[in-house]
Amino acid sequence: MTENKNKASLKSVLSISNPKVFDAVKMMISILIALAITFVVLCLVSSNPVNAMITILTGPLSKTRYIGAVIESFIPYAFAGLAAGVLFSAGAFNLGAEGIFILSGAVVTAIAITPVTTSPVLHPILCFLGAMIFGGVLMILPSFLKAKFGTNEMVVSLMLNSIYAGIAAYVVRTFLGTLKRGGNSSKDYLATAKIPYLYQPLRITACFFLLIAVTIILYLVMKKSRLGYQIRLAGSNPRFAEYSGISAFKLAISTAAIAGVLSGMGAATCLLTQTTFYTPSQSLVGIGFSGMLLSMLGRNNPIGIVIAAFMIKYLEQGTAVLYFVDTSVPSEIVAIVEGIIIMLISSQHFLRKFRERRLLKEGLEEHAE
Amino acid sequence: MSETILKLDKVTKVYPNGTVANRDINMEFEKGEIHSVVGENGAGKSTLMKMIFGIEKPSSGTITYKGEETHFNSSMDAIHVGIGMVHQHFMLIPSFSIVDNIILGEEPTKGVFIDTKEAAKRCQELSDKYDFELDVTAKVSTLSVAKRQKVEILKTLYRNAELIILDEPTSVLTPQETEKLFDQLRFFKEQGHTIIFISHKLEEVKQISDKISVIRNGVSKGTYLNSELTMEQLTNLIIGRDLDNDMDEYKTHEDFHNEKALEVKGLHMERNGKPVLNNVSFAVKCGEILGVAGVEGNGQQELVKCITGLEETKYTGEIYICGKTVGDMNIRGRRDIGMAYIPEDRMVDGVAGNLPISDNLISTYYTREDINGKVFMDSKAIAKVSDNLIKTFAVKTKNADTTVNSLSGGNVQKVVVAREYNTNSKFMIAEQPTHGIDIGSAEFVHHKLIEMRNAGAGILLVSADLNEVVDLSDRIIVMFNGKIAGYFPDANNVNESDLGMYMLGAKRQSEEEIGGALND
Repeated sequence: MTENKNKASLKSVLSISNPKVFDAVKMMISILIALAITFVVLCLVSSNPVNAMITILTGPLSKTRYIGAVIESFIPYAFAGLAAGVLFSAGAFNLGAEGIFILSGAVVTAIAITPVTTSPVLHPILCFLGAMIFGGVLMILPSFLKAKFGTNEMVVSLMLNSIYAGIAAYVVRTFLGTLKRGGNSSKDYLATAKIPYLYQPLRITACFFLLIAVTIILYLVMKKSRLGYQIRLAGSNPRFAEYSGISAFKLAISTAAIAGVLSGMGAATCLLTQTTFYTPSQSLVGIGFSGMLLSMLGRNNPIGIVIAAFMIKYLEQGTAVLYFVDTSVPSEIVAIVEGIIIMLISSQHFLRKFRERRLLKEGLEEHAE
Repeated sequence: MSETILKLDKVTKVYPNGTVANRDINMEFEKGEIHSVVGENGAGKSTLMKMIFGIEKPSSGTITYKGEETHFNSSMDAIHVGIGMVHQHFMLIPSFSIVDNIILGEEPTKGVFIDTKEAAKRCQELSDKYDFELDVTAKVSTLSVAKRQKVEILKTLYRNAELIILDEPTSVLTPQETEKLFDQLRFFKEQGHTIIFISHKLEEVKQISDKISVIRNGVSKGTYLNSELTMEQLTNLIIGRDLDNDMDEYKTHEDFHNEKALEVKGLHMERNGKPVLNNVSFAVKCGEILGVAGVEGNGQQELVKCITGLEETKYTGEIYICGKTVGDMNIRGRRDIGMAYIPEDRMVDGVAGNLPISDNLISTYYTREDINGKVFMDSKAIAKVSDNLIKTFAVKTKNADTTVNSLSGGNVQKVVVAREYNTNSKFMIAEQPTHGIDIGSAEFVHHKLIEMRNAGAGILLVSADLNEVVDLSDRIIVMFNGKIAGYFPDANNVNESDLGMYMLGAKRQSEEEIGGALND
């Protein structure tokens, strides 16, 4: 009897009518379709599409320094994705991470070129703190304006992106710049500010562990804490959150602050591990926006976002490896994969018919019982 | 001799969330009859009508109209072949005149311009022919609900509808207005129109119908001649058991020392210069249900918003919840001093549809100690609380992880009521607590409200369903035009048509009599 019941409940847990299972299946099918389409494109541009495909998928594993490059480069993107994930979960369409990245990059640079301390431990930490505090405070602005005055946060945050980028360029040129390089770039970072490799071949730094720790904490906050509960409620139905007595204002401010802090972390990580100086028009451009795509790929789930960031960077590295042997394939091909997956998983209709048929069948069976 | 105008053959509808709304429905409608389709709310009547009217497409099965199988892509197609529908929620543009509303989409033209004279003439003729007593040049925003409904019906007649579907037409009408509507429907019938009448008010169905089709749980339970069916048989067909209507026997009468759960004194609020609440004063005592009756839109919504703290417009007057003045407290503060609230529109305010039931069962007290650990929320305790509530409230679901969206209306409402019940509040606002849910769930909700009342909670029941107000309440106030128009200290001794007079503003009591609402 109980065995029968267990079987039935197992069946319902694994059934396609379970939204979680459905999402997972949808994700997997989306990835397969995206890869299949990529292969079709490869057939069009490459003389040896099979090899090209294999290289994209396995290339990064062929040398430790390739996988090291993936590990180093995906971390800032993962932070950007986490920041966007927090905002999106709360139903806030604050697209300001891009500007925050660029401006807190200037903050990191200001601290990193100044001999504030001689300790190689303390110096990077100060850089991080500066970026995090700055990012946290600045990110609040669009959410504050929305909660207080009903402005459209998407418009405000996009505008602020330009403004913040302008301020960053001005600050670097006027206060942090050097004539040594052409263009608008900062002075070199002091050696104490750089974050050293803990394991050189895989380019693992303390930032890698920081990301893991932050991801786990964020996951727990989102799933288990009262703040996470508030975010879920407000993200799902803001009027219900208000009805339940959750202050929309406080929530908007705190989620924006968290997202800003995460963006600041991302900026500091990128600059202190991958570069030795800051060029506002290059160093961090595009990371904040990519974060939003990664958040969509990871379904706003912190762990999903980090996996998505790794996957995309892995594929990019794969195309880079391919480029060494076959220059006919442009590295932009990764964007195809990314775009198709996002399109498919965000589509309400994709696979819906399939699910409906299953639900109909199950519904009828249940009736029959 | 009878002629079949509409035939449904094995019509099935499955919604994307997996709800099987209709299954293998067979039904035949004959020309020139008034044919009621009855069933509990959520039984699948509205879905069936939407398929006939082309708003939804059947998942399988065929619909034949005048001998031809229909494949409507939208309601436009249905209108073109002569099917009209009057929706429960009117589809009118308030700032337009009656004529403009009626001709919208079918304007008579003169060259490139709308022939306004011709349009007005035709509308007026139509209105006069059917004795609607409308001035068709009036703006819709100035009309009463009953008149707006007439405009909706005129709209279908203007489009030469032969088959008119009326979805819960009486839910917004007073008893007097309902009588009038029925006279008109009988006249339509004489003119050869076919009427499909959707309702869950059985007295009305018995009064007006030639034939009655019953839907239960999405499945057709057959079509019967009205004359061959007694009320008891009909009830049995609809819910599969006898309905227990008398709530009084569940009430106990303990003394709660006249303690007051809510006191409202001199509440006044204006919107666009017009008073929407006008010197409203009353009290809800612990251990009683105070019913607020009234036609929708007479200040009840605003009253509830003022009490809950969700109103954004400034108001004057005093509100005390459990003896404490609320001042400009927000809803959190008011909940903390003892308020619970079942909102009117459960899907908009009462739940987060794509979150699990368990999340929805704790939202108004998620900070409470018993479901929180030191750092995180205690998921085991939450699971226990939700499982208990699901069991106590008989929520039909596989488990607490199911999303609320996949539940039926009645079960969603049970989730809302269960949550508010579990706040253990001394004061509860129940706003349309059984609106649009099945009879079984409604009965359940009613019992729970009485249980809370018996345990000493004061309940403010705001409902457009007059039967509900009369059956549940201990005392009743009637609202008209933002004012309390009548106060009835004993709900057991009120006459529904008398209440109707107060609801329509035809009668009102003296200030002294109304004062009893606060001071009794």
